[in-house]
Amino acid sequence: MEFRSEFWSIYRETLPILVVALGGGLFAGLVLEGMLESVERFPGLLVMVPVFLATRGNVYGALGGRISSGLHQGLLSPRFEWNDRLVNAVVASFINGIGISIVIGVISWGALTLLGRPSAALAELVGIMFIAGLLTSFVMIGGLLGLIFTGYKLGYDPDNLVGPIVTTLGDIFGMAFLFLSVAIIEVIL
Amino acid sequence: MVTSSGSLGSWETKSIVTNMFPLLIVLCIIVLWAGITLEDAEALLETYGLLAVMVPTMVDMGGNLGAILSARLSTRLHLGTTEFDPRDRELWTNIGAVLALAATIFTTLAVGAWAIGQLIGSVLTLSTLLIISLTSGMAVAVIAIVFSILATYGSYKLGIDPDDTTIPIVTNVVDVCGMVIFIGVSSLVLGF
Repeated sequence: MEFRSEFWSIYRETLPILVVALGGGLFAGLVLEGMLESVERFPGLLVMVPVFLATRGNVYGALGGRISSGLHQGLLSPRFEWNDRLVNAVVASFINGIGISIVIGVISWGALTLLGRPSAALAELVGIMFIAGLLTSFVMIGGLLGLIFTGYKLGYDPDNLVGPIVTTLGDIFGMAFLFLSVAIIEVIL
Repeated sequence: MVTSSGSLGSWETKSIVTNMFPLLIVLCIIVLWAGITLEDAEALLETYGLLAVMVPTMVDMGGNLGAILSARLSTRLHLGTTEFDPRDRELWTNIGAVLALAATIFTTLAVGAWAIGQLIGSVLTLSTLLIISLTSGMAVAVIAIVFSILATYGSYKLGIDPDDTTIPIVTNVVDVCGMVIFIGVSSLVLGF
């Protein structure tokens, strides 16, 4: 009997979080489907999609984990304020998030070139990643901190919030801004 | 679903970036494989646009399930409530719950994608979508479970905190498996 109640408690605790992540994933999928038309114009765009999405999780998941530990240790207060630790952590995730976006453009172009496959110009791929990374950073950092702070004040453990918030926001805004960024690069280059 | 950057003790911008950036580059190179798989499947996706709708969930969900299991296992290891014993009932409870969650989520994914398909006009039937989603989803769930257990216990034995590097690497590797299996199963089922 103990087995059964433990099983259901894990299931019930986790399912709502995964359903929210599924909703974000389906929205991101619709955007990806809409973006297929641009793939002919920018070969290599599809290579960057999973890498870009995974990186959002890696960079902002780390920021969320750090903020949540800081709150637990009493090093941070749950509000937007000019605290050196908070500012340093936020600046670091801007640098990581935008820096790695540029790296994604470069290594995707490099891999396609090495494999002898068609690829858009290096400047086009890097430009798309840079604009998408920049726009996503603002929304992810603002949204993540706002939701963690609000959840913490309402009595939720931020450790349980970080993963699902990052996955869902990352999918939705990552894909939406990637789509926008492709449209911008189409116009200016 | 990555929750640490290596040195939580430091709150200096420079050390956060220098600790984390090399790991980010390694993770990018791992996931690049998923990207190349996706690019290869371009013709398949253009024929069946509904598959593209399922891609982000297929890629993320394996990593999510792995991260949930790893987090639960590493908490229990830190608390000293488990040893690595295949007869451990709590371990099997966790595995059972992850499999049940995977079955629920991948069934819902198929139904959700089918409903979207009714709106955007797709030829894929609900039963085809269920076969694709559940076959690839459950395969990824099993891989996520195996990798998470091995990585969590392995890093614990080696004295590394699994939160630091093991979980990020495992979740990204599982993401890649999700993409490769999903595209493979879809091509097979649709005879593409």
